[in-house]
Amino acid sequence: MIVLENLQSNLIIMTLTPLIKTENLSFSFSKGIKTLDNVSLNVPQGSIYGFLGPNGAGKTTTLRLLLGLLRNQHGGIEIFQQSFSSHRIEILKRLGSLIEQPSLYGHLTAKENLEIYRRIYHSTKQRVEEVLKLVSLENTGKKKAKQFSLGMKQRLSIAVAVLHQPELLILDEPTNGLDPNGIIEVRELLMKLNKEHNTTVLVSSHILNEVERMASHVGIIHKGKMLFQGTLPELQQMKTKQAALEIETNDNSRAVQLLQQEFSAEHRENKILIPYKDKEQAAMVNRMLVQNGLDVFALHPQQSDLEQLFIDITSNN
Amino acid sequence: MSFSIAVQTELIKAKRSSAFWLCLIGSGFIPGIHFLMYSLKPKDFVTRLKMHPWETHFMHCWQAFSAFLLPMFVIIVCSMITQIEFKNNTWKQVFASPQSLADIFLSKLTTILFMILFLFVMFTVFIIAGGLLVNLINKDYTFLHNSPDWMLMLKMNLKSLVALLGIISIQYWLSLRIKNFIVPIAIGLALLITTLIILSWEHIYKVPFAYPLLTFNSLSGGVQKGSFFQNHELNSIGYFIFFSTLAFLDMKYRKERG
Repeated sequence: MIVLENLQSNLIIMTLTPLIKTENLSFSFSKGIKTLDNVSLNVPQGSIYGFLGPNGAGKTTTLRLLLGLLRNQHGGIEIFQQSFSSHRIEILKRLGSLIEQPSLYGHLTAKENLEIYRRIYHSTKQRVEEVLKLVSLENTGKKKAKQFSLGMKQRLSIAVAVLHQPELLILDEPTNGLDPNGIIEVRELLMKLNKEHNTTVLVSSHILNEVERMASHVGIIHKGKMLFQGTLPELQQMKTKQAALEIETNDNSRAVQLLQQEFSAEHRENKILIPYKDKEQAAMVNRMLVQNGLDVFALHPQQSDLEQLFIDITSNN
Repeated sequence: MSFSIAVQTELIKAKRSSAFWLCLIGSGFIPGIHFLMYSLKPKDFVTRLKMHPWETHFMHCWQAFSAFLLPMFVIIVCSMITQIEFKNNTWKQVFASPQSLADIFLSKLTTILFMILFLFVMFTVFIIAGGLLVNLINKDYTFLHNSPDWMLMLKMNLKSLVALLGIISIQYWLSLRIKNFIVPIAIGLALLITTLIILSWEHIYKVPFAYPLLTFNSLSGGVQKGSFFQNHELNSIGYFIFFSTLAFLDMKYRKERG
């Protein structure tokens, strides 16, 4: 039943017109070295799109191109079904952004920082109070932004981005430098905006776990190329296909011989890997090893980090 | 409308910034020194200032101001206004906001002009305050018995502002182009010092960094002959149009913004 509901909601999202669409976006900072190579991004309306990639993969370059901070060299950018190059101001009015480190005027207070953007976006004064409350900065008074902690600065930057209640948020690593509590707060805020106001969120990150916790869609970029783009269940399905059960015993050579009778076990360094199916399989393996007099030190599904995922996707491709 | 909003936001940013403090404190520097000189050495100055106290005091202050300090302030103010964005890493947020590039460019230029205007107003206020104050301390001075030559003050301020336009546009362009705060200031100071060295050159009216001094010289000799704006002041307007256009096109066609 749950699977059906998920499928339905995914189908609804997929059939919606994309809010951001890039076609074969390529960019070079210096001649001959492509920072982006034919990136075709498709961010559906109402989604939280996690844009994943390690540092230097091209995430920030893509987001900067989307905001017009880099001059487009090759390929097309459409946001809200309008070409960015010919509708820059109309598009920027409807989106909020945060690129890399916080962009705040250190000599001004939180309220003064927001006042600048309130005038540009024609927001109400009441809205300034609302967003300050939203990011828990309503009691900072005359304290200047340069005296804020990194977490407070990041929260104020988010307040700037959401001030005019944009339909689309483009955020580049918004949880960078935040403590675990701050990370959770930002994540919950984004999910709330998405759920309650139907704000589409494009958020970049280099942490797979973080994206998995909030995204409905995922795009993975590596060395300037898109490796994967799809829904979160699609990504998880692919991960499960590639998953392995990691085992460590007091006699790995004997354990491999034993396990090879049932599975395609592989001895790698000081551990054994077998293709992972489910929890019951793990229990069965444990029983088998213990019944044969082996001590089991560790038995768990292999942690799938971003690096492992890249290896999996690349080998898949 | 959008331009006026852009200027308003720029003025909020300039509030309490280093550029604001520089203009406020810098404008009081020369009048302050003259106030001290008049107070500490009245013998030297009471006679000299007897006949035309305001005019002489005004010219004393402007002479020291226009040759070096005024162009230097302009060089620093241009850098400081653009540095607000560089230092705070906010160019990207400015360019990602729904403002036209022309509004962004012109609102910053207008803020620089406002700052220079603020410097002029405060400089005049301090000149007058210095004269009044020294007379209250020492009754031998005649400031309180004469009224300032408002026309001369207005003329000097207006013509000096026009004479500065060339320097403003060159420094604004350099400050937009170069992230490092020191480089545009160093280039500006090098150009200013070179100008002061070649001051007697026959083509000095072609060198923008000499214009504030040329304007002072034209007004210090009593009645000015010819048209209201002199050749070097018209040249300053020409430089302003040329370098401002160049700076805008440079911003518009740059590969990377913010």
